This record gives sequence, C-alpha cells and structure tokens, in this order.
Amino acid sequence: MTESVFTQGYDVSDDIIVIVEDSELPRRLKDRVYETLEAHGEVTPEQAQDVVSAVETKYIDTRVDPLDPVGTVSAQSIGEPGTQLTMNTFHYAGVAEIDVTQGLPRLIELVDARKTPDTPMMTVYLEDEYATEREKAHEVVWKIEASKILALGDVSTNVADMRVQISLNKDTLDERMISAEEVADIIEDNLGVKTIQQGTTVEFGPEEPSYRDLLQLVEELRDITFKGIEDVSRVVIRREELENGEEEFILYTEGSAFGDVLSIEGVDGSRTTCNNIHEIHRNLGIEAAREAIIEETNNTLAEQGLDDVNVRHLMLVADMMTNEGTIESIGRHGISGAKDSVLARAAFEVTVNHLLNAAIHGEVDELDGVTENVIVGKPIKLGTGDVDLRMGSSPNKAD
Amino acid sequence: MVDVSQHELVPEHTVLEEDILEDVLDEYDIDRTDLPKIKRTDKALPDEAEVGDVIKIVRNSRTTDQAVVYRLVVE
Repeated sequence: MTESVFTQGYDVSDDIIVIVEDSELPRRLKDRVYETLEAHGEVTPEQAQDVVSAVETKYIDTRVDPLDPVGTVSAQSIGEPGTQLTMNTFHYAGVAEIDVTQGLPRLIELVDARKTPDTPMMTVYLEDEYATEREKAHEVVWKIEASKILALGDVSTNVADMRVQISLNKDTLDERMISAEEVADIIEDNLGVKTIQQGTTVEFGPEEPSYRDLLQLVEELRDITFKGIEDVSRVVIRREELENGEEEFILYTEGSAFGDVLSIEGVDGSRTTCNNIHEIHRNLGIEAAREAIIEETNNTLAEQGLDDVNVRHLMLVADMMTNEGTIESIGRHGISGAKDSVLARAAFEVTVNHLLNAAIHGEVDELDGVTENVIVGKPIKLGTGDVDLRMGSSPNKAD
Repeated sequence: MVDVSQHELVPEHTVLEEDILEDVLDEYDIDRTDLPKIKRTDKALPDEAEVGDVIKIVRNSRTTDQAVVYRLVVE
C-alpha cells in the first residue's frame, strides 16, 4: 500500500513513506515533503516525523475556522488591491500588440458579467503541422480574419455610368484562397445586384440609375465579409517558445467568435481560449466558465503587480457567480439581488424600490443574515456570534 | 463537432450513482437541491445525464491536488 503511484520516484525509505502517508496533508504537500527529505539525503524516521508534524500543524492552522466570514474577507482582500488598479480604461499593447482592457475596468467587467467585454480577444493555439509551419498557420489566419473588400482590392465608383468597379489584387486573392468568381457571387448574394466579372475586375451598379443607390451599394459593399469570421477584425501571428524548447505559432485575435474558431481545421480545440466568459460558458460549459473567471481575474491582478491576492478569494467569487449553473453578476441584478432578506437587499442599492416592493408583497424578513442584524442592532450569526452557551444540569450529574 | 471534454478548461464530469449520492449528502448534511447547479444544456454534461441527476466533477485544483465537487442537473 505504501508503494502507491504517488510515492514512486522518491528516493526515501519505506518508514518515511509510511510516516508521510499517514499524515493529514494533501497530496501536493506530501510531494513537497518527499522532495525536501530526498534533497536532504540522510534523514532518520524520527527526524522525518518531526518535519511531517511541523508541516501538518502549520497546514491545519491555516485552514478556515468554522463560522469564519470568508465572503467578507474575500471582499476586502479583492477590494483593497482594487484601489491600486489603474482607474482609466487603459489599453495596453502587451502580447502581440493587441489592445486589451486592463486594470479596474477589466475587473469590473468580469464581476459584472458583461455580455461582451470591451476588447474581446482570443488566443488560438494550433495543432500538428499548423503550429510549426508558417504557411500552414497562415491558412488558419485567413479562415479566421475577416476579409473585407478594401483588403482584397480597390473600389472605384464611376458616376458617369452609375457603376461600381472593383479591381481585385491577384496576389491577395491567391494568398487568402478566394477567387474572383467567389467574390462576385458573394456580392450578388449580399447586395442583390447583377455583377459582371472579368479576370480580376468585378463591376456592378444599381438597377435604376440613381446616385443615392450607387453610394448606398458602396457602403454596403464595405461591410461584407468575404472570408473569415465577421467578428474578428485582426489576427496577429506570433512564434513562441514552448517549455521543451520547441517553437510553435500562436494566433492572437482582435474580436472573438470562440465557437466558430474551435471547429476550424488546424485549431487546437484543447487549449484555445478567449476572454469572454459567456462565450466560454456557451461552448465549454459552466465549469470551464468558472475556471476562466478565476484565470481572468487572477491575470488582471497579476498584470498590475497584485498577484499576492490569494487565489482562494477569486475562487470564492467564481464559485458564487457560477453556483446556479449560469453566470451571474455580483451586484443587484445578480447575486446580491437574489438574497432572501429584504433589508439586506435594501441596504445594498436602490433602497426605496426594495422596501416599497417588499411592502406591496408583504415580505417577511427572518433576520438570518449579517446585514439585517446590523441594521436592527442584534449580534450577527458569524464567528462567536453564532455560538450559544447555556448553563444547565447534565443528565449524568445524577450519580 | 469539437470534443468539449478534451479542452483543458473542462474538468472530468461523470454521473453519480444514486447510492453513492446518499453518502455524499449525508456527509455534508444537505439536500440534493442545496448543491450547486448545472444546466441540462451544458456543453460539458455527459450524454446520459438527465434532469435530477447529480454530476461528480473532479477538478484540478489550484489549492490542492484534486477537488471533487457535485452539481445537480437542472432544466
């Protein structure tokens, strides 16, 4: 039993393994103990016992006590560093020159669970040869990045003949793997006009000669996405070094369409992520969304040098936000608004509305929570406030 | 279609057997409805899961090795 899968690979005696395995430590700490003992070389079982006991005491000491107000502690622990975050919507050209909202605006965006972030982006990982060959990686880029008409060629309006003339760039067409015929077809489908295509030129005009219609067509033409994903305006390709020394191409996108990207050939569907927690929820489920919330809030703080916020606080926030199986915001429209107590809700925001509605519906406040009891001036049911002590005769006292 | 369970953000989801569920609920002294929820339409849900089932989720935890949590499947 001592030779479990976990203890293999450590050069320590069986006695020590028994001592460590018998402790109340979690696996990760046990491993750390093994590593330390192994690095030390000669360790007697007695010394090992001392080390394990010391670690165990420390570990048990750091566990949360019963009735500890973990939510309040989390709120303070995130709130205090929050005062040191950049306040303005500061854009930061970090990885691959893509603007991403940072600091406090980003943190607020996350806990408010906004439907779309201010600056949506994706990190697209590639698999197999797509990750190692630049040409292959570019193939994926053109499937993702939205190609508008201005990127494919020049558009000119001939007012005398009431025609729009597009002269497409042959090289660009080849590179983006789209033909002039396809371009003409897409224009016909989207604008409902007849086109004349010859070589790399495409020409069309309004049915009735009208200056207004002509300009209207040009406007609409500019909005058509000929190739790629509508929501992704820009893709940056970067070569990055992996831990094992090899290099791979990674794509960073401005704009996101997580679901669409996952099904593109060459995209690694196991690592690709985006910064929109709702998109992650839709495509990967609530557990992935929880993970993404922790990751994003943690990164936002770490980016500003505040990575000493314990991750447990962020985990608690993420747990609360995903508790109902959907992403809920922190605040009156989400978690705080769903509280049972009228007084607690009224104390948070829009006091009068809550009190008025409660009066109309005849709501009863059980005074179970913290806020309600502070308001009415009773001890709160947390910590020692939740422990009742009674003097009384013990039934065993009789003898 | 993409296999959602292969994504590194998605932990392992399995449907919990009824008798094991009883032990879990007893251990925490809670009702089934006190558990966190997961929607029936959730992408990471196993195919055989139905409303009312409890899903066992084994996460790779940041604070310990593996954390086991449970979610009740709701409409």
